[in-house]
Amino acid sequence: MLINFTLNHKPVSVDAPADITLLTLLRDHFKLTGTKEACEVGECGACAVLLDEELVNSCLVAAPSVMGREVITIEGIHDEDGNPNDLQRNFIDKGAVQCGFCTPGMVIAGEALLATKAEPSRLEIREALAGNLCRCTGYMQIVDAIETTAKGRAEKRNQEKRER
Amino acid sequence: MTDLKYVGHPAQRVDALDKVMGKTKYVGDMSLPGMLYARTLRSEIPHARIVKLDVSPAMKVPGVVAVVTSDDFVNHGNFGFPISDMYMLAYEKVRHVGEGIASVAAETPEAALEGVKAILCELEALPGVFDMERALDPDAPQIGPDRTDGKHPNYIGHYPVYKGNPKKKFQECDVVIEQKYETVMQEHAYLETEGGLAIPTPEGGVVVYLSCQSPFIPRNDLCKVLGLPADRVRVIVPPVGGSFGGKDDLNYQTAGQVAALALKAKRPVRMTFSREESIIAGYKRGSMRMNIKLGADQDGTLRACEFKSLYDSGAYSSQSPFTSWRASIHAMGAYRYEDCTVDIDTVYTNTGYAGAYRGFGNTEVCSGIEQAIDEMADALKMDPMDFRLKNCLKVGDITPHGQLLSESVGLTDCILKVREMSDWDRKRKEFANQSSSSEKRRGIGVAALFHGTSLGAEGQDEATATIEIHADNQVTLTSGLTDYGTGARTVFTLIAAEILGIQPERIRVHNPDTNTAKDSGPTVASRTTILAGNSVRVAAQNLIQNLDWAAADLLNCDVYQVHRVGEDYIGPSEEPVSWDIVVKHAREMGLVLSAFGRWTAPEIHWDEEKGTGIPYFAYHFGAQVAEVEVDLKTGHTDVVNIWAVHDIGKVIFPQGAYGQLYGGISHGLGYGLYEDLDYQNGYAQAINFDTYLIPTSMDMPEIQGGFVEAAFSAGPFGAKNIAEPAMVPTAPAILNAIANATGRRIRKLPANLERVMLGKELTKKGSPFSCKVALKIT
Repeated sequence: MLINFTLNHKPVSVDAPADITLLTLLRDHFKLTGTKEACEVGECGACAVLLDEELVNSCLVAAPSVMGREVITIEGIHDEDGNPNDLQRNFIDKGAVQCGFCTPGMVIAGEALLATKAEPSRLEIREALAGNLCRCTGYMQIVDAIETTAKGRAEKRNQEKRER
Repeated sequence: MTDLKYVGHPAQRVDALDKVMGKTKYVGDMSLPGMLYARTLRSEIPHARIVKLDVSPAMKVPGVVAVVTSDDFVNHGNFGFPISDMYMLAYEKVRHVGEGIASVAAETPEAALEGVKAILCELEALPGVFDMERALDPDAPQIGPDRTDGKHPNYIGHYPVYKGNPKKKFQECDVVIEQKYETVMQEHAYLETEGGLAIPTPEGGVVVYLSCQSPFIPRNDLCKVLGLPADRVRVIVPPVGGSFGGKDDLNYQTAGQVAALALKAKRPVRMTFSREESIIAGYKRGSMRMNIKLGADQDGTLRACEFKSLYDSGAYSSQSPFTSWRASIHAMGAYRYEDCTVDIDTVYTNTGYAGAYRGFGNTEVCSGIEQAIDEMADALKMDPMDFRLKNCLKVGDITPHGQLLSESVGLTDCILKVREMSDWDRKRKEFANQSSSSEKRRGIGVAALFHGTSLGAEGQDEATATIEIHADNQVTLTSGLTDYGTGARTVFTLIAAEILGIQPERIRVHNPDTNTAKDSGPTVASRTTILAGNSVRVAAQNLIQNLDWAAADLLNCDVYQVHRVGEDYIGPSEEPVSWDIVVKHAREMGLVLSAFGRWTAPEIHWDEEKGTGIPYFAYHFGAQVAEVEVDLKTGHTDVVNIWAVHDIGKVIFPQGAYGQLYGGISHGLGYGLYEDLDYQNGYAQAINFDTYLIPTSMDMPEIQGGFVEAAFSAGPFGAKNIAEPAMVPTAPAILNAIANATGRRIRKLPANLERVMLGKELTKKGSPFSCKVALKIT
């Protein structure tokens, strides 16, 4: 079937079987391999994407259900010039990355949190990451990266306010 | 070494940028035109004879291109080290649920699965051994290979340490305690499952991209089972999505399967495991039953230890002979004893199979001995910290193995520091005065460890590296040891940058590749920083010598008069010349701009019969404290805080070292509280993350870590290691904290709800059905 939706800010149209998941659609039909497959039962968050700005596990989303909606994957997260954004930068600076397999999902989960909560506490960050498993880091430096980003964005907003 | 510029300073992981952008290509992200998808028929029975195996119906399934069985390999695909008891695909028998029997390559994953289902495979079930205590019964079904020495075929080995006669010494001790401790199987749970991609080459060979730890092992295995010379088999390790010991065995079978299929189909073939397949087919940390007897005097002097244990390797020996040996060396803990004996016996069963997992034997025994040490401190009415400080290993001590510790023993400092950081003395007192009626009780516990660096007497211990300056002045490094998420590439980069005096950004570390790197042994045993790091140091030193000649020539002076400031060379004239100009001049002089470095570890030896020797050339030390809150109503244990101080020698890459520490602690917390890959009659009772629970961000406390840098003189810049030992003391620290909180001791891991609340286990639920279904879904 023909599925039309917005993918990483661009309208797309794809002819795909109706019985596949969004994860398969992204990986096999769009070759967007940044979204990872690790459990396929919605437990690990490695396949997390933003669907209409909401955090979802793409392994649990039927591909046709994204019709007319907006999907953002890790490939759609970056600064306008294509460089890493502040959150991604902080993942690097704070040591939030080890093997890297959970990293795209963690970045997506971080963005989903920061879109709804400007200055989350460390506990709130932990709550927001509870659906994303990481076996390498013990989560400490991932929490650090998101916390630092939240503070940086708040500071930037305040500065913009002052300048206005 | 006060003026280090890169080593020990803040640095970023060299491969992090691609990872945060989602650009890193793991094996499962790679595809090639015409690539086939592979799937393996796996045993649904724990122990059976293969009565019939007819793959011809699979070949008739539309889309199926090739099928392989053990017939497609030389000597039926027999391999394995140190015991060659495995096959690339099962030969004559299967010995555990999930064991591969035949592999199918097809145009689509669906067709490959249809092919698997079409194979006619008749298995005649054999009685199995599911209890390690029964493995050596005279009438136990045979699992291991035939043997000629008269020993039971299910017997793998005996691993002793012998010093004196503790039985006699116990009679002289004021206090003697004896207890049984038990650990269960643990799943590695790396986020990236196993997988490999094989590409046939025009000359009849094969290139395999394999998510693994040690590329030279599968290269050598493939040569053997495919009958190919070494120059026709190339194994490349792409980025690996976590391993923790778990991609150092099973995936070598995967390599054999995809390579044989690719050669037969003459097309690229990729296989990636589902999570269920990964858990059912993959090996685990083996389970261990321990009996520990300790003797001490009333003044707190620990005098004697007798440690006896049985270790279950499951259906294959895999790394268990080495795991068991490491367990034996560490079984008595980091303490002095007048008399100490350790006896570990390792056996085959049909309970999955066990192999390497972070800590490699030490994680298991530490959970036992560190509880026993606490129980002895209790019996002596001594503070557990004071008891450990009184008896722990120090420089100048002789270990129970007979080894003189001449340097780099930072354990006392680790214990003192973690005691202070955790506010131990105040909390211990405060928690002792909790109301006995309160439902939520706090407790605090400590565990200490030592951990032998690198392979020890397991094998020859050396590593090599090559370094080269290219035409664009980019520097590349190759090492035969891999970075499966550990940060090793960054460690190599920082060491080379330090010695060459250039920005780390100029250096790139190649992916491990058997065609370009030299065999440096396996990437195991937390040996990469010290072994590969030293070989990189030597290679960089060999390279810079040539640049020093060139600089002296340019600056019209002697080599000894040249010194470096940043990337500039300066001679007596004080006029700096840049690194790039020096490199250019070296080229003009005809000097070679590549170098090789080899580092061989200090000599050690072990007498397997007498149980004495020098098992390792250096040791990591550490101590961790856990604070818990136990809900007596539900049995739930909340780990509120963890403090961890480890002596890792010189810290080379701080961000990475802390990352290893925190990550290791998360494995240890899971091991202590809920991870239990339980098998019932050979069937795994958890097959995905909905039933096998690993710690989430909500389960992990904020961790406060610290390092004691008791430099090891032969380490690169004094470095030792961190990866494995980071997890070793976590579970016993938590168990000791639970005992402190509740007054009850849980001697079988994990301390899950029912054990904490009821002190016993509940009946398990699972069925073989889920395993069988999971092996045949898309």
